[in-house]
Amino acid sequence: MTQALQLEGISAGYHGKPIIHDVSLNIPAGGAVTVIGPNGSGKSTLLKAVVGLLPLSSGSLALGTRQIGAFDAPTRTRLGLGYVPQEHNVFPNLSVLDNLKLGWEGVHGSRPRGLSQREQLDAVLALFPEIASRLRTPAGLLSGGQRQMAAMAAALMQRPSVLVLDEPSAGLSPRNASLLFERIADVRRTGVTLLMIEQNVRLGLTVADHGVVLVNGQVRDQRSARSLLEDDDLPRLFFGHERSESLDAAADATTHATTPA
Amino acid sequence: MIQTLFNGVVTGLLVALPALALALTFSVLRFANFAIGAMLTAGAYIVYAFNAGLGWQLLPSAIAGTVLGGLLAVAIDALVYRRLRDRTGVTLLVASMGVAFVLENAVRFIAGNAPVGYEVDPARPLRVAGLRINHEQLLIAAISLAALLAIWILLRWTPLGRAMRAVADNPSLAAARGIAGNRVIAITWFISGALATAAGTLIGLDATLDPQMGWNYVIQVFAAAILGGIAHPIAAVFGALALGIIAELSTLILPPHYRPLVAFAVLTGLLLVRPWGIFGTARIAK
Repeated sequence: MTQALQLEGISAGYHGKPIIHDVSLNIPAGGAVTVIGPNGSGKSTLLKAVVGLLPLSSGSLALGTRQIGAFDAPTRTRLGLGYVPQEHNVFPNLSVLDNLKLGWEGVHGSRPRGLSQREQLDAVLALFPEIASRLRTPAGLLSGGQRQMAAMAAALMQRPSVLVLDEPSAGLSPRNASLLFERIADVRRTGVTLLMIEQNVRLGLTVADHGVVLVNGQVRDQRSARSLLEDDDLPRLFFGHERSESLDAAADATTHATTPA
Repeated sequence: MIQTLFNGVVTGLLVALPALALALTFSVLRFANFAIGAMLTAGAYIVYAFNAGLGWQLLPSAIAGTVLGGLLAVAIDALVYRRLRDRTGVTLLVASMGVAFVLENAVRFIAGNAPVGYEVDPARPLRVAGLRINHEQLLIAAISLAALLAIWILLRWTPLGRAMRAVADNPSLAAARGIAGNRVIAITWFISGALATAAGTLIGLDATLDPQMGWNYVIQVFAAAILGGIAHPIAAVFGALALGIIAELSTLILPPHYRPLVAFAVLTGLLLVRPWGIFGTARIAK
């Protein structure tokens, strides 16, 4: 199952201070959007607002035809949002298998309905064979790459219609990062809608249809991923047309509005 | 010697129930619930209210009291701890001290200061293979073991137990996985309150009830939980058993009133060598 995700004029922030302003974007069912932008531009904040870990101060959010902006994180998860945070994205003291089971149980409960937990587990492990041999290991003892895969596998156990990924390549070696993105491309082929932020612009845009440039909490540009990839002048996009003024603004954003990534 | 060992095991099992309750809330909520003694007292008195107040038999009183004791803990959470959920463990610890005073004095206000006892028929101790065994001791052993087994199964093998361990590990990720944190926390408090009530009832059965009864156990309960590994609920049980046996065995060479001293010497030594407890493992924080 897959669903569209629509953000309409979303603003959110911490302690009454807005970090993202009036962000609108539309991901059709089965589509994939990668949000790029400099540090402190509010990318992680945007994702937290989408999954419900941060309340919206204004704007609306629709999953398929349903408005979900007023729901808390567990409810949005049960409606089909899967989220993989950048850090602390597994339960470190629980085994990998328990991490995966939790993904299923949080959404589908412990009673089998339709497709069983076992079948879903097999399907997910087929996507991530690297963790299949480490099911009994505490997730906190996995290597960086395996931990990312375990985290993504746990989110996929929810059978989400939209998967939200926060910097999947963070902290990974270049080799592990490209391996992980091959997996993400596989995940896309299952039909799930993808919303992702990524520091590694090239990797992030190769698996997406559309790219969104977020600067200072606002959408600066939004077009096809291919066209962004071929744009030689991405730095200009990151830092704006009036170079000096926007650099100040970007610096400002980094010092004042930096959020825990 | 065998008799001493047996007494030690029973004392240990008695302390194991509240130690388990303490470790359970600690592992899920990351704070040391100082009110565990007062919860034990309040629970014992709730059972007493059914038993002596309404004239019920002890067993139905204990069952009703255990449920009510659990609900009391849930209510305290909703009233006090939930509002402080984002604060540090120290803030919550201090809040739990406040809860302890309120509970203890509420008991004192309603039931008075004088010691009271449950209405049960006295029974002659059994003699098995040279051992002198009280009916209370049998009851303590049976109920404690059953409760410990039930909690172990719950934590290890059920989705609810997994959800509890998940909330303990990373509450915001648990929310993103669709787990309703407040519901899991409420259930944790219910179990903790029920265990404290069961322990209070067993202690009241063994001796008498008074508003201070929980206080006498607070230190032992903390010691047992820390000895076992406070973040691992089941390990707390072994901590309690070890503490009980060591304390009783010491009476063979030391005067009996040195029992607590021996227990604390062991605890101090252990904290220096293995701060995460005998059976605990250092938790993975990242």
